[in-house]
Amino acid sequence: MFELFAQADATAAGFGQYLLLGLVLGSLYALIALGYTMVYGIIELINFAHGDLFMLGTFFALGAATAVGATTADAGTGTIVLGLALMLVGTPLFCAGLNVATDRAIYKPLRRSPKLTVIVSAIGVSFIFMNLGLFWRGATPVKFPDLIPDTNLLGGAGSVRFTLKDAMVLGVTVPVMIALTVFVKLTPLGKAMRATAQNPTAAVLMGINVDRVIAVTFAIGGALAGVASVVYGLYIKSADYQMGFQNGLYAFTAAVLGGIGNIPGAVLGGLVIGVVGELGKAYLGAKWSEALIFGILIVILLFRPTGLLGARTREKV
Amino acid sequence: MGTGKLNRRKFLAGAAAGAGAFLFAGCGKKENVLRIVSSLPRTGSAQGQTDTIVNGIRMAMDEYNNELFGNKLVHKDMDDATAAQGQWDAGKEADNAREAAADKDVMVFIGPYNSGASMVSQPILSEAGLLQVSPAATWPGLTKKVPGNQKDEPAVHRKDGKINFCRVCPTDFVQGPLSAVFAKEVLGVKKVYILDDKELYGNGIAGLFKKKCEELGVTVLGHESIVASQKNFKTVIAAVRGTNPDLLYFGGTSQSGGPQIAIDMKGEGLKCPLMVPDGCYEKAFIDGAGADTFSAVPCYATIGGYDPGQMVAAGGNGAAFVKRYKEKYGKDPEAYAVYGYEACKVFLEGAKAVGKKDRAEILKAVLATKDFDKGAVGKWSFDADGDTSLRVLTISKIEGTNFKPQKTITE
Amino acid sequence: MTAVGRYWVPGLFAALFAYPFLPVAEANRGEQFTILFVYALLALALNVVIGYAGLLHLGIAAFFGIGAYTVGILTVPFFPFQQSFLVAALAAVLVSALVGIAATAPTLRLRGDYFALVTLGFGLITLYAIRNLDAITEGTKGLNPIAAGPLPGVKENVDLSALKVGDDWGARWYKYPYLYFVILSALGGVMLLLRNLERSRLGRAWVALREDELAATCMGLNPARLKLAAVAVGAGLAGLAGAFYALALRTTGNPQAYDFTLSMIMVCCVILGGLGNRPGVLLGTLLLMGFDRIATNLLDNWLQEEFDLGGGAYTKVSGWKLIIFGTVLIVMMRFRPEGLLPEARHARELRESDDQAVDSGQKEK
Repeated sequence: MFELFAQADATAAGFGQYLLLGLVLGSLYALIALGYTMVYGIIELINFAHGDLFMLGTFFALGAATAVGATTADAGTGTIVLGLALMLVGTPLFCAGLNVATDRAIYKPLRRSPKLTVIVSAIGVSFIFMNLGLFWRGATPVKFPDLIPDTNLLGGAGSVRFTLKDAMVLGVTVPVMIALTVFVKLTPLGKAMRATAQNPTAAVLMGINVDRVIAVTFAIGGALAGVASVVYGLYIKSADYQMGFQNGLYAFTAAVLGGIGNIPGAVLGGLVIGVVGELGKAYLGAKWSEALIFGILIVILLFRPTGLLGARTREKV
Repeated sequence: MGTGKLNRRKFLAGAAAGAGAFLFAGCGKKENVLRIVSSLPRTGSAQGQTDTIVNGIRMAMDEYNNELFGNKLVHKDMDDATAAQGQWDAGKEADNAREAAADKDVMVFIGPYNSGASMVSQPILSEAGLLQVSPAATWPGLTKKVPGNQKDEPAVHRKDGKINFCRVCPTDFVQGPLSAVFAKEVLGVKKVYILDDKELYGNGIAGLFKKKCEELGVTVLGHESIVASQKNFKTVIAAVRGTNPDLLYFGGTSQSGGPQIAIDMKGEGLKCPLMVPDGCYEKAFIDGAGADTFSAVPCYATIGGYDPGQMVAAGGNGAAFVKRYKEKYGKDPEAYAVYGYEACKVFLEGAKAVGKKDRAEILKAVLATKDFDKGAVGKWSFDADGDTSLRVLTISKIEGTNFKPQKTITE
Repeated sequence: MTAVGRYWVPGLFAALFAYPFLPVAEANRGEQFTILFVYALLALALNVVIGYAGLLHLGIAAFFGIGAYTVGILTVPFFPFQQSFLVAALAAVLVSALVGIAATAPTLRLRGDYFALVTLGFGLITLYAIRNLDAITEGTKGLNPIAAGPLPGVKENVDLSALKVGDDWGARWYKYPYLYFVILSALGGVMLLLRNLERSRLGRAWVALREDELAATCMGLNPARLKLAAVAVGAGLAGLAGAFYALALRTTGNPQAYDFTLSMIMVCCVILGGLGNRPGVLLGTLLLMGFDRIATNLLDNWLQEEFDLGGGAYTKVSGWKLIIFGTVLIVMMRFRPEGLLPEARHARELRESDDQAVDSGQKEK
């Protein structure tokens, strides 16, 4: 069953390589997971459509890059820089707008409904997004422009590769996560957000405009998914309408693993899932990596029923 | 609760109307119609490939002016995939087979595309005695007893041993081993790493390739299955890179991760060539990975029979087919369009010889086809199991956005 | 309740029993209906867990798969067991129920969404186990053929041509009515069983638990045991549905048939029909799955024969399926969250919530 164990490159170099790949992918999952966890923190909605929002974001970014002609690395530096800029600005705006609009149109009238009602609506939105993705780009995986070179930053001969692409992922995701933490901790709007998460009734009584806070949360969550979709596209280099499902599932799992509603928890959860998944692929075989991720998730939840950093979660009766 | 009751009645009325529509659908059939059913994945990611098969079928029908001994030829284009699965679905394939079996005007069932789906439809159609011609299912066990089969194959696919299934494409039993021969003798490969998608087709052909490699003395460094839905194989490729192979063989299709393997080989700096079977021999594979990827990763794709480009060079029926296809659909046919055409053509010729709508007679006539040369791939016959005698393999290299045939090997 | 409201379920069953005798009956349609009955059974099973006990379970497809594969292992020719379907189905129910208990017992202390995620994870682990344990499950090839006769002592291919109802009935219903009637009867039996269960001590205890766990505990009910009972019943019935699925298809099919998508669609069927209400769940499943598996097919075939629209996804009804599904779900949740045929108590609760809830996002069930 585990015949691969013997074949995998079990040297220190191999392990380092897998760990690195896991951390890079994990930081991407973390970025998507933040969108889940922030929305959950405020309105207790498992937003099943978030993964598909991420997918539409990738298609949007692909469209933006194609529109300016930045389709291959040979397109010329100016074009590539323009394409990257357009993607990095446009996609988060697109995703944020779409996420806020969805909330306005579909979740907002259901604020007083039981959780399950809203979750089913979110499943409905996810179906619609997926179908739109299918119409947009068809069913076959599409190539995403390969704009960042695969240069190995650790030197060509080394057995561990840390490429410019890996650096790009970390270079975008880490500052974004730091900025988000600063925003939530230090700005008045962030404070209002935390207050609303803690107790919406009290927040209303303290004069906080809860509707606005919810809208901002959806906007930020969507923008993070937008950033993640650009980085994902550039890193993985392909996109298809079903990609939102798998990545959304990982991200959602990351959010719960870290303690859903908890921002540092989502980041930690994303990294854990990235690393566990990639090490699992290398040492147990790709076919077992998902089972491993969910097995570990279940074991962790058995010992920490509210996730790794979820101690702060209050219990409502 | 007053409104509740009203709504309930309304819902029930709607439900009754819907049920009525199901019950009465299918009434009012036209007379003097001969239906050709195809059951192929028309939604999901295999669509590009199967669209061209359908084009091939329609071209063959057009050549008879859509008429055969006084019957109007009607093509019933069934989809064996569901949008929810994004690929073929066992229930859907079974539905299609039964629908075809139940319709007395249907004389042939062309399909399916996937060997796994074929295992579902074969027993149903065998029982109904309806001719089934697959343009693309290449799993050897569907027709023959060969090593590596599932238990009791192919008997389990045939009700009471009646043969009704045949195919116009060479099987993986030709393709897998000949690919290994090419790898050793032409590419000079000494160490190979094998990946597959764990589907019936991909896993099967990878196993046959592996077996031949071992016979030829090529070292198999490892054989692993990927999970196509993971969409990213960087770690897997990094692990392969650690073993330093001369060739990476991927048993799978463009839908089950083929293009992404090529992309990740470039990204993870795996410098050896990639070899893929006919499931990747389509434009969607090149488009999915991008031509820029293949300038860094040399890639060889194999197909049983010939590449449409070779057929043009060879002249005759094949060249004429490619030319007419291009006129009609405005682009070059994909490799499998040829087999869609061939499957429909061999049926039409067999049926024409019988001259009446009789399933058993047509089945007998088609299975007895010998030295058939009216199609596009040259002269071939069906053997006793319903396999084609065309046992050749063409290996092409991807150059730019095209498949460039390198060599054609005969078994 | 009006007469229609009270009698439509028996009426529906009577109509379905009569269907094969009607002149419009078609073998293919009958087979498709058979699969619908299997999914209805699965939805009823899920309804026990979500509707009765209030546990959001996102892995019901796993039990469906376990049931199907248990039957496969016990009946296919290349395993040495070779049991009759009756024995295999019984084993499928027991194995699914036991796996359900074993997998749920340790996770009962998890609350709401954490529990939902664990069930989702369980479903995925089961799916990958089925996919990867080739020695037992034949991997992606599926176990086949499953050909055991459904009832001991009766031939599978009963010749019904003597009945001569309608146009060559016997030939058309070569063997299908057999499975059709067996599975339809099983569905009817499960409906009755669940009706009695709802009215039993256990059923009323579930209601108490679902409405207010704290109060129920104070009244001396054991929530853990009640939840386990619900999961056991639900998993067992899902296993039965899986057993029939494998029998109807004569193969366990591709493991992908038991994935998360199916669990999610089942949740949608249950909620669309009316959470907790058997007839509602039945109707919801027949409509949603009927649309998915029969209506889109018919419409597509019709469109294709009448107009040649080409191969684009948007030219086919099946290409719009997810949009239609999604829109139906959203519209229902907005305007009729209690489902098509709501359970009386549940509907009242949802309607009242409009007046009572004051703050957003605080309505906890």
